[in-house]
Amino acid sequence: MSELQAVDANISTAAPADDLEAPPKSLWRQLEPTVLGVGSIVALLALWEALPYLVTFAPGTKLFFTTPSQIAGTLWTMFATGTIWAPLSVSASGFALGLGLAIVVGLPLGVLIGRSPTLNAMLDPFITAFNATPRLVFLPLVLLWFGLGLWSKVVIVFIGALFPLLINTYEGVRNSDKLLINVVRSFGAKEWDIARLVVVPNAMPYIVAGLRLAIGRAVLGVVVAEFFGSEDGLGVMMVQAAGQYKVAVVFAGLIVFAGLSLVMTGLVQLLEQRLTRWRPQHAAEY
Amino acid sequence: MPAYIQGRNVNLTFRPPNRGPVRALYGFDIDVNEGEFLSIVGPSGCGKSTFLNVLLGLIRPDSGDLRMHGKPIAGPGTDRAMVFQEFGLLPWRSVQHNIELGLELKGVPTETRHNVSQHFIEMVGLSGFEGHFPHELSGGMKQRVGLARALATDPDVLLMDEPFAALDAQTRDLMQVELLRIWQEARKTVLFVTHQIDEAIYLSDRVMVMTKRPGHAKKIFPIELPRPRDYEMRVTPEFNDLKLEIWHALKDEITI
Ligand SMILES: Nc1ncnc2c1ncn2[C@@H]1O[C@H](COP(=O)(O)OP(=O)(O)O)[C@@H](O)[C@H]1O
Ligand SMILES: [Mg+2]
Repeated sequence: MSELQAVDANISTAAPADDLEAPPKSLWRQLEPTVLGVGSIVALLALWEALPYLVTFAPGTKLFFTTPSQIAGTLWTMFATGTIWAPLSVSASGFALGLGLAIVVGLPLGVLIGRSPTLNAMLDPFITAFNATPRLVFLPLVLLWFGLGLWSKVVIVFIGALFPLLINTYEGVRNSDKLLINVVRSFGAKEWDIARLVVVPNAMPYIVAGLRLAIGRAVLGVVVAEFFGSEDGLGVMMVQAAGQYKVAVVFAGLIVFAGLSLVMTGLVQLLEQRLTRWRPQHAAEY
Repeated sequence: MPAYIQGRNVNLTFRPPNRGPVRALYGFDIDVNEGEFLSIVGPSGCGKSTFLNVLLGLIRPDSGDLRMHGKPIAGPGTDRAMVFQEFGLLPWRSVQHNIELGLELKGVPTETRHNVSQHFIEMVGLSGFEGHFPHELSGGMKQRVGLARALATDPDVLLMDEPFAALDAQTRDLMQVELLRIWQEARKTVLFVTHQIDEAIYLSDRVMVMTKRPGHAKKIFPIELPRPRDYEMRVTPEFNDLKLEIWHALKDEITI
């Protein structure tokens, strides 16, 4: 018996000491993705810049063409002279107000509908019908009712952003863990506490996913509203520039829109990281 | 004088949508003394969890009378707390904040809450893990958090629904010893549901065997083994006689 134990003990101490350390990565392995990513962008831009020297344009078509350096120059001038701020702030306020309203309405409504079978039965037909309709068909009505100013844009953005938020929140709430609800109820939680302590934290991954979708829809809403029915904003600036063949300005607007979307997506990512610190690390991939 | 917890003819039928009704409790009677450790054993699905949930105030029975301290059970209350089989920890809350859940809902001020949770963290041996999240804990540690959370609100009655079923045998043995120590220290009334006859005898003042569904008390066994109890007690003839008696009462109820 004691001999057996001695043998066991020998086996159990045999594990290598540095087991937990990750094998070191070579410098190239670490930098490879960044270098390849940046490299391909730089190569593409260089090719684009060189295009006028490589091919000869048919007469007149040069009007439709621009180069990265021209776009960069235009952007620089717009920011340096401040001409960008007026249209940018108009677009940004439409975006922020519409998205903000969609959050303020969508989250509580999603929680209420998810928790109350009565409200669910009452509102479900409207939500399904509304959500199945392409948002663009509301445009003439919205322009008719809200005019060409800020509020028609806000409404278009709101309609676009509301549904992903509402529907995702609802889904998340429906997926609440019954056991956890019973746990907090057993400690005396009323409906408000249940929502605060279990339902909303539980739905958070759904809500964040909904928010990400909503941001995309909101940007789209701004663009659509400004292309078809506004007097100010980045979209209006782009349409007018296109009419005057200022291709670099059109691209500049496009880049500002893309930049806005990227910044917002980054913010959501930060939010997500903050909100989901409690999760097992690998679960983030699901 | 009526018992501390008294149930008379408690009946409950579940009526799930799209399925037939399930009679879970039928003519259920129970008497529990103050400070007593009472275990309930019975076949799966006989209504043990259902009874604990009724006593906890989460489910209202269809009929019958269930009282504690002479007052009918009308809903959840801070005089009762449950330790759940599947732990029921909020995954987005740290150990400390899980333990403080009940205190928070009672409106206890932050500082008091902190002192209380610290006390129970030490009692269940989780010092140093205050800031850990549930996914970072082993099963035994999770159940310690569940126990500390239930004790933190200082309930008179502790309900435990197969609290150690998810633990491995060794951890379970250690948790039993721990539970007896805490019970002796805190002098709570404990209702303990388990599948293990050993565990029931080792812990309890009395063991109640339930019939198959619809469940009610079949027989009650007083356990007159001396306290404090130790692990060696499980191999004494008295222990084994009790085990056999309870097994006989239970086995007729089990259908496979
Ligand atoms: N919410 C519910 N809806 C319908 N049936 C239920 C519900 N909860 C429990 N039951 C049924 O009631 C019976 C008793 O369940 P339970 O009390 O959980 O048994 P156990 O003794 O194993 O803890 C089982 O047949 C179970 O399927
Ligand atoms: Mg059960």
